[in-house]
Amino acid sequence: MDELEFRRRVYTNPADKDKELLEAAAQNPDNEAFWQDIKQLDEKLKTAAKVAVPDDLANRLILKQTLREFNHQKRRNRWYISLAASVAFTVGIALTAWQQQHVQLDQAALAHMYYAETEQPHVNTEVTPQLVNAKLAQFGAELDTSIGHIASANYCILDAIRSLHLIIETPEGRMSVFLVPDHDKPMTNDFADEVYQGSSYALHNTNILVVGDRNANIPAFKSELKQYLKFSA
Amino acid sequence: MKEKTLRYEALVRALHGDIFRYAYWLTNDKSTAEDIVQETFLRAWRALDNLQDEKAAKSWLITILRRENARRFERKQFDLVDFDEVSVAANEDQDSDAEVRQVRRAIGKLAADYREPLMLQIIFGFSGDEIAEQLELNKNTVMTRLFRARAQLKDALTSSSQQRGLHSG
Repeated sequence: MDELEFRRRVYTNPADKDKELLEAAAQNPDNEAFWQDIKQLDEKLKTAAKVAVPDDLANRLILKQTLREFNHQKRRNRWYISLAASVAFTVGIALTAWQQQHVQLDQAALAHMYYAETEQPHVNTEVTPQLVNAKLAQFGAELDTSIGHIASANYCILDAIRSLHLIIETPEGRMSVFLVPDHDKPMTNDFADEVYQGSSYALHNTNILVVGDRNANIPAFKSELKQYLKFSA
Repeated sequence: MKEKTLRYEALVRALHGDIFRYAYWLTNDKSTAEDIVQETFLRAWRALDNLQDEKAAKSWLITILRRENARRFERKQFDLVDFDEVSVAANEDQDSDAEVRQVRRAIGKLAADYREPLMLQIIFGFSGDEIAEQLELNKNTVMTRLFRARAQLKDALTSSSQQRGLHSG
């Protein structure tokens, strides 16, 4: 190895432990001296390269990352919260909409029967045929009051619809007749629960529900009513 | 998450010093160096799962650091000139003795192309092959640059000590 090559390699890497390089140094004191010189230079370079690292840089790096991660988390949480909020909102809207969905009229009528029962004792005033027909006139209907004794004729609210509830004493027993002015309502023809049974029909944009005791002859009363309750065209 | 935090802390503590020093020699400015080190380590967090061993982590950090530095140049339209004497003096560690300051000044005056491979060798103990891989250069180029870097430093330090000798004599 000539001197130039030796120097080139020492400059390139003073820590080189290549056999050829070691031999070249051992054979030539000038080479050895040069190598020592450059090794010394390298030590100086190493010292000089070690500039002071700012105090606490490591802690600051960790802190910064921790804070950032925390903010990420917070943002993520915010995202979750907003998702939860919109889910809750949707559920709320859906629930409200669902609650506003109309219950079936027959169910409303049956429910009203129990309510009307407790209410009855307060209704002592005599119900005249004129009063009954005055109320019926609002529904465009007229009743031949010879159908039986009209025990009461009261407005009531069935499924948010202002309706008329007639209670008629008949040979078949006490019968309730509901007039509900909305023919679009979903209707089941016959309905019943443990205490009452009923049947319905529609006439002139009005649903008519007949409700009586569980053992009452509803079909008979229903056909009778059809003759007595007339609607003006 | 806890485990990742611990790994991150270990990585920071093990490598922040050398990474900062390398950043300093890339930028010749302590606060700029600190900025790009911050950015580099924040990126490291995201890639932490892929950094399997210290060697890989080191090389990955250096790559990101160099990229951040390049980006800084793009942003600020800095001239890619070598350190000028004023900025070197301004950043000088006042605690260091005169010889260290002199060597630092000389390193600062090296062309960046020479300084970079030299610092990878000096600070991280990289081999020629590793430097070539890190800087995406062929090995001969790296060897030539290392040779020239030391030769230039040797010259600079010898002549300045001769000058000093003349002044004091």
